[in-house]
Amino acid sequence: MPETFRLALAVAGKDIRAELRSRTALLSAIVFAALVLVVFNFARDPTALAVVDLAPSVLWVTFALAAMLALNRAFTIERENAAIDGLLLAPLPRGALFAGKLLANLAFVCTVEAITLPLFVLFFNVDLSGSWPGIVGVTLLATIGFVAVGTIFSAMAVRTRFAELMLPVLLLPFMVPPLIGAVQVTSRLLAGRPLSEMLGWLRLLALYDVVFVTLCAMAFSAVVDE
Amino acid sequence: MPPENGAYMLAAYVVAPVILAGYSLWLWSRSRKQ
Amino acid sequence: MTAGRAIVRRGFTLIALAFAGLAGVYILVLGYTPIEARQGLAQKIFYLHVPAAWCSLMAFSLVGIASALYLWLHEPRLDRFAAASAEVGVAFSAVMLTTGPIWAKPIWGTWWTWDARLTLTLFLFFLFIGYLALRAAVHEPSERARFSAVVGILGMLLVPFIHLSVYLFRTLHPQPIVLKPSAPSLPPEMLRTLLISMAVFTLLYLGLVTTRYGIALKEEAKEEAADAS
Repeated sequence: MPETFRLALAVAGKDIRAELRSRTALLSAIVFAALVLVVFNFARDPTALAVVDLAPSVLWVTFALAAMLALNRAFTIERENAAIDGLLLAPLPRGALFAGKLLANLAFVCTVEAITLPLFVLFFNVDLSGSWPGIVGVTLLATIGFVAVGTIFSAMAVRTRFAELMLPVLLLPFMVPPLIGAVQVTSRLLAGRPLSEMLGWLRLLALYDVVFVTLCAMAFSAVVDE
Repeated sequence: MPPENGAYMLAAYVVAPVILAGYSLWLWSRSRKQ
Repeated sequence: MTAGRAIVRRGFTLIALAFAGLAGVYILVLGYTPIEARQGLAQKIFYLHVPAAWCSLMAFSLVGIASALYLWLHEPRLDRFAAASAEVGVAFSAVMLTTGPIWAKPIWGTWWTWDARLTLTLFLFFLFIGYLALRAAVHEPSERARFSAVVGILGMLLVPFIHLSVYLFRTLHPQPIVLKPSAPSLPPEMLRTLLISMAVFTLLYLGLVTTRYGIALKEEAKEEAADAS
């Protein structure tokens, strides 16, 4: 078990270092997220709709779009470098390979989210004092869910001709439960509602993570092996 | 007195078989193509 | 080549029988079932919508089960069946997604609501489409079968989560008045007609899947012959 973990960290480290060297994907995802926030701000009528009603949805749509961009880039990099064949020839347990890819993608997406959140607070004048630990928590919980499914789907998509189109087509239905849960919890956190009102949604998010991380780890070898 | 909404019933009772028959015909043309 | 042709012929026979049955259902609906006092004639859409829903869900579950079995047994017949069931599922989902709003408009005043059943059908539709798009994009048969199987299994597991998400919202859908084992609150003529319609739709599902499976078999045989020559 510790061996698997060590291997996963090694895989993750390799991916993260590769991305840090070029940095283009990270920067484009961040710029994209900032642009989305700006567009949303100009698209709404400030007299008609209060920020606090719209804010959670805006935040999560932005996170979802940026995540999809990040996931696409991660595997396209692999394909360009033909690196994955090298990884697969090594006798690496597929669960560890998946965990490593998941951790790398998670680090990537969470970095984009960590930079987008302050921009969000700035552009939308949202008050996060007191609720920010909860926001960070629910962001992590929901992100794990859709990045897990995104990791296995991008492994599939990269082997098809229309990879950039295939990934959203496959992934979007799977992003809906974590997104709905995240928006519901975020809006209650911003409104200062008690924890009891969010428990159902938090349980949904946690269950989703457990089920899909496990399943995607088990199914990963069916995708990368001949 | 039940509401006058027979037009909706008619629409559904036309659309449903059209879709199913349409798909069946498409399968038929596909089987012929060989 | 002939095995596929025989299967296709059997499939079309079942389809023809099913459409004859459907004509019978139409007669029952128009002549035998009573008109519901509150909802009027539009309520009769129920006799088409509910069986279509049942068939979509059945088609989808079978794709999931066949996918799981394929990853375990690697039997190409399972993959062929899953592909057929997915395509037929799209047809039944399309019927649901059209009859649903046509029924909703006169009864609830709105074409669409995000209640449990309509939302779930929309998702099934998107999952089916994604599954078929993936199959179209992968050409190597064993890779296509493996990838589809993974999507099939993950999709099947997504459905309870969609259901749970929608349940945590309030739902507008009429209460399930048929699925009470002790005492269904439907008048007997309605229940009987519904059950007959469900049987006819199931027969249609079987006919369509059989036909589609046979066509796939024929197409594979023709490709193999072309490769060999």
